[in-house]
Amino acid sequence: MSYKKTRLIYITILLFIIVCSSVNGQVKGRCKDCHTMHYSYEGEEVTYGNQKGPFPVLTKGGCIGCHGQNPSGTENIVVIGKTRIPQVLHNMENGDLAGGNFYYVADGYNPDYTKGHNVKGISLQEYPPKNVPPGFIGGVLIPGGTNPSYWPSTQQLSCAGTYGCHGNRTIENPYKSIYGAHHEKDTIIDGETVGKSYRFLFGIVGKEHEDWEYQATNSNHNGYKGSNHYDSINTISYLCGECHAKFHAHPNLGGINAVSLNGITWTGHPADVGFDFVHGGFVGSEYQGYTTYNLEAPVAFENPTGKEKIIDENSIVMCLSCHKAHASNYLHILRWDYSKISTETLGQGCLICHTKKVGK
Amino acid sequence: MKGFYLLICCILVVFLSLNLKSEGAIVSDDCEACHAIYPGMMEEVALAKSKYKYLLDDSLCVDCHSSSDNATIKILGGIKVPIVHNTLPPVKQLAGGNFYYVTKDDRKGHNLGRIVSMDKKFKGFPPGYDRKADLSTIGYNPEKPLTCSGSNGCHGNRNVANPFEAIRGSHHAKDKPIDGTTTAKSYRFLKGVKGYEDDEWNQNASAKKHNEYTSDIDKLCANCHGKFYKKDFTGEQSPWFAHPTDIFLPDKGEYAKYLKYDPDVPVARQKVFSSPSEEVKPGEDKVTCLSCHVAHGSQYDSLLRWDYDNIYAHEGNKKGCLMCHTRKQD
Repeated sequence: MSYKKTRLIYITILLFIIVCSSVNGQVKGRCKDCHTMHYSYEGEEVTYGNQKGPFPVLTKGGCIGCHGQNPSGTENIVVIGKTRIPQVLHNMENGDLAGGNFYYVADGYNPDYTKGHNVKGISLQEYPPKNVPPGFIGGVLIPGGTNPSYWPSTQQLSCAGTYGCHGNRTIENPYKSIYGAHHEKDTIIDGETVGKSYRFLFGIVGKEHEDWEYQATNSNHNGYKGSNHYDSINTISYLCGECHAKFHAHPNLGGINAVSLNGITWTGHPADVGFDFVHGGFVGSEYQGYTTYNLEAPVAFENPTGKEKIIDENSIVMCLSCHKAHASNYLHILRWDYSKISTETLGQGCLICHTKKVGK
Repeated sequence: MKGFYLLICCILVVFLSLNLKSEGAIVSDDCEACHAIYPGMMEEVALAKSKYKYLLDDSLCVDCHSSSDNATIKILGGIKVPIVHNTLPPVKQLAGGNFYYVTKDDRKGHNLGRIVSMDKKFKGFPPGYDRKADLSTIGYNPEKPLTCSGSNGCHGNRNVANPFEAIRGSHHAKDKPIDGTTTAKSYRFLKGVKGYEDDEWNQNASAKKHNEYTSDIDKLCANCHGKFYKKDFTGEQSPWFAHPTDIFLPDKGEYAKYLKYDPDVPVARQKVFSSPSEEVKPGEDKVTCLSCHVAHGSQYDSLLRWDYDNIYAHEGNKKGCLMCHTRKQD
């Protein structure tokens, strides 16, 4: 085979891969699978689960109607035609996706509000003081603008918008904030638009696992963006910090003194801090004992690929190393039962990183 | 002498033809072509039973505008008659669609009483009916069947209950200009509606040759389906809660790319056009009920112009919803 032919074949294969990947995150399929034109069928109003409409953008049930289609059901990814819809609220055993599962806090399903975010439409607003995000600082810099100056005491958390996580948080209306994102080409996750942001978290970058980490492996998982120098606002931990600012050392947020004593002794667990940043250096530290990517304690990277298997000094601790985003089966949305983590639980929970805390 | 009479007849025929073309009103010396083709039509009835001398009622509409074959325009007494109901699958159906489809499936057309029985699902209630939105002084009566005209129909004067009375005389009245002032001077005898009427009822429609609609048509639909028209139900732009109608096609984003008129996805104009235009002007033209639906019946559920079950986003489709929602074509 000639060099030219070989090159042509390689280019063709490459183009095929690019084309295939270019439509991966963009919703495909029948309009009717997600949209209803007049909120009417056979002359009657249509409801989706417990949701009563009509729903914005002609959607069948809004965010939760699509992404929480059957709270008591056992599907974590609903397939309708060619559309695969990750479920953030379901009852599938061992089926929680990367963000967790709102089932643990969902009203009507024996909720425990200590286990997740209280999102409007799923749970009622928390009682004070947890009716506002712990550690909230008004007016902090966020992608596209600034946070509101304060979080109103009666303002409940929503999926998207100013008082949510997804979409453009400078836009208050949740649906306006995420408008069009599902139809945007998202080949490149650069955070420039909502559609081109990691999981539609505006301004955040990363690599999206195609099954939202269902049956993920230590070499095929979400790729979380971290930063070791508190110099970027596109990390997943920065997003958390937009609402929980006092837990993040970025100068735009809580600042280094919020989590440490003059940057020397931690007073709060750091996030967006690399293993090479630890006191005394990475070599010889307990973190050197965390060698293989563990889905129970994921880490971030400066340039995540989602294929990282090796943990080293370039790995970055993040909020999601310990917490999930939506809800988990544990207090404080933790990935594990903190009350049961001890020096005897080698390789579990905190001890996945803190490898020298194992009992002798 | 015979030649002279023949010449006079020819001149008369030409005159009548021109008259037809310019006025649209039915002018013919062959009354029986329309009025005696169905049994009983010319039978005199006792005045005690009817205020009319002849048996003339709603059945006349359906009888004249139906066909037992699949042709959608027929000729009666030299007059072109648009067919709204074929008993065989229609070929080149007209702008309003065809009641043929509702005879096969309730969901595919309006259940016109003279053609099919009352809708089993809706039981006579127009979906989305809101009495406040029904401009008829009488209002729609769900106990009675849908009629072609009158207060329980679409055509003619909806302030009149009797279907025949509601449209009586319109076929023979002066019908230009189409300014909506009378039933005859209304678009397709839909009283109050203005528009431009294609001389073939869109049978051979193209970008250059087609009906031209105005927003009046939406207001007519809203009489019976008001809930789908009212802004407090549909929401306000971004985000809409139900598909809006009688709104400007946005001149930005994906909508700005719909520029060439497609008779399968018509838009409404702000003023009555004197001739059809092949241009769509986002920002000036409006989305109308008829952008997606036909009036009488179609092959598709909900009288849609296309099969909503088979409109796919981002898979290369370019028709149906995606004519306006162009971003989903890619």
